[in-house]
Amino acid sequence: MENALGIWGPQAIMMAITASFTVLGLIMLFAAILMKRRWKPSYGFEFGFIAVMLGLVWYGDKLSVGTYSAYQQNLVEGSKQVSGNYEPGDDQVFDRTFTLIAFQWGFAFINEEEEISRNAVVVEPGQKVLFKIVSNDVIHGFNIPVAQITAEIDPDDQREVWIKAPDVAGKYLIQCVNYCGVGHAQMKAWLVVQGPDATASIQTDGETA
Amino acid sequence: MSQKLVNNGPGNLAHWKVQDLVATTSLRELLFSNDYRKIALKGIFTAFIMLGLGGFFALVFRAELAVPDVQFLGARVYMTLMTLHGMVMVFGFLIPLVVSILYFMLPKVMGTDRLYWAGAAQASYWILIVAAVLLVIGRPDFTWTAYAPMSFRTGNPYLWMGHVAIILVAVSEFLAGAVLFRNAISGGFGWAKTPLMGWAAGTVGLLFMVSVLPLAFAGFGLLSDGLHWRDVAWFDPSRGGSVQFFLYLFWSYGHPAVYLPFVPAIAVIYTIMPRFLGHKMWSYWSGVVAFLLLALGAIPIGPHHFQPVHTISGPYERFVQVLTMLVFIPSVLHVFNWISTLFMAPIPASARRAVPFKFMVMSIAFIIYGGATAFLNAQIAPDSDFIHNTYWIPAHFHAMFVGFTAQMGIAGIYYLYPYFTGRMYNQRLGNWHFWLWQIGLFIQITAMGVAGYLYFPRWVYDYLAMPGWAESQLFITIGGYMVGAGFLIFMFNIAWSAGWGREAPADPWPVEMDETDAKAVQPAQ
Repeated sequence: MENALGIWGPQAIMMAITASFTVLGLIMLFAAILMKRRWKPSYGFEFGFIAVMLGLVWYGDKLSVGTYSAYQQNLVEGSKQVSGNYEPGDDQVFDRTFTLIAFQWGFAFINEEEEISRNAVVVEPGQKVLFKIVSNDVIHGFNIPVAQITAEIDPDDQREVWIKAPDVAGKYLIQCVNYCGVGHAQMKAWLVVQGPDATASIQTDGETA
Repeated sequence: MSQKLVNNGPGNLAHWKVQDLVATTSLRELLFSNDYRKIALKGIFTAFIMLGLGGFFALVFRAELAVPDVQFLGARVYMTLMTLHGMVMVFGFLIPLVVSILYFMLPKVMGTDRLYWAGAAQASYWILIVAAVLLVIGRPDFTWTAYAPMSFRTGNPYLWMGHVAIILVAVSEFLAGAVLFRNAISGGFGWAKTPLMGWAAGTVGLLFMVSVLPLAFAGFGLLSDGLHWRDVAWFDPSRGGSVQFFLYLFWSYGHPAVYLPFVPAIAVIYTIMPRFLGHKMWSYWSGVVAFLLLALGAIPIGPHHFQPVHTISGPYERFVQVLTMLVFIPSVLHVFNWISTLFMAPIPASARRAVPFKFMVMSIAFIIYGGATAFLNAQIAPDSDFIHNTYWIPAHFHAMFVGFTAQMGIAGIYYLYPYFTGRMYNQRLGNWHFWLWQIGLFIQITAMGVAGYLYFPRWVYDYLAMPGWAESQLFITIGGYMVGAGFLIFMFNIAWSAGWGREAPADPWPVEMDETDAKAVQPAQ
């Protein structure tokens, strides 16, 4: 659970299973076309195949639920703190908490001091950051490629998404991935990662911090 | 089952008559005749026009996307082209093509030689034409999913036309489903002997009729909200409506909508594969069970398109996830059945030569290539990682829609060609078409998957030069243009061969072994 969900965690196993299933299927198909030898597969073979797939479904469900609820677990602990029980100095789960408003067309980040910044959010390397996302008009998407997280926000819903900021300082893309109207392609923001001493030197043009 | 096609006895082959239907049909007959051959011919012609149109839209915006930044398309024009590409291809090309093929094949396979309720099929066709005209005039730019409340807030004054078109598509598909279901039960075989194409038409006919009801209501709600018919909106949260309600309605149709062309395409495989190989399918009941399971699973798994949200959580979320993975199983049953059938006996040289057989084999390859990712897509954790609304999704559905369904439709057309024109297609041009499509589609779909893995967002006309983005987009464009070239060759082939092709023999698809086949190891019984 280092970097939100993370492709290289348990997901890699699922990717590997999917890839091997594809390769196995293609090998079977082309063997059926190209091989000289012919035989009639027994019906038991198919039942065995189904049994393997039921096993895969069980395993896929187990791993996915495990991964996702471990991720959710951190959210739940986090939201306890931000919903009334917030006590500075406590052992905080999240280093930063932002309310994020997705609108046509951009993102507005509201920090703990109710300061609003549009289209850029500044955090420190390695921080655990919680975004409480709402939409005030249509369905939007929220995706930070470097944090390996993507979500959809409906206007009558609220999503809470957390990430671990990259360890390397720099400027990372935040984008909308759900078609939200004619300005969708321009609906972007930047995750600016920089050390605490650099905070004073944010450049207004959004270039590297 | 498809025994009828295999046993070329006099009673069975009587309906399969090679004839020049195209030349002997007057325009008036083509437009209004209730003869099933002519309804099918009209549907197939129209589907090709739609394919040309939708493909042209795609090639225009693929040129725009080939390199980063804005070249020649603005946001609104791009999104209109994209929306029409999706709607024209799914509602205008894919579904009508495979349904028309079933209109033509069902009466022959079921031995009735007539299409019951042909008037409803006729009405279904013309209603769809009205919908297509409305779409072209209204030029909606809200994507084929028409998500509320965006889809009535895009500023286009003719949006209501798009919403009316959605309702008309629902009516048209309802009628088509009723026709398919009526003809599926027309053969008088009894349920244990009905050909697999009958099972397919029966299950998908029911699925059509049930699943378009929520679509019609979604279209009505969008129309009502867009024109402010009620103070309290159906779907607009700012006026007391519920977006969640829209999502449930839409995807109750939207997921079955994938199976509406998918199942008829599967039925075509079950019908022509025994004909080419000269022996029965490996298993009849495996196919029947798979059709039933696919139809049962289609509607309840719709929410996997928009979860997780607060209305799907806990056990329900898990139910949708597990059921989505389980729907994998009927498709695997089909694929297993096909591969086992191919394994059973030497593949005749006549089949190896036939272009429709080649398309059929490669469409099975693409169903494996695109279908296996369904196992991954169903799971919420990877979905929240890199799948949701990135190019991974277009990769998945282009493999299923184009790689499998459209290619199977094309296989059906090549197969039926002598029955429509009395002549054979040109083999050399057919091979060019085949290879251009296989290579083009593979490049396109693979590059889409890579783009998705790199978080390329969907529905953008303009993008940054992030690592790998421009390269994958360029490859998608190259693949797309290869598919376009293949389409042109295909069109030329069927137009030219109708006049100058080799005359088809009475049985255009005889099963012929050559010497190597005869020497091959015989199946162990």
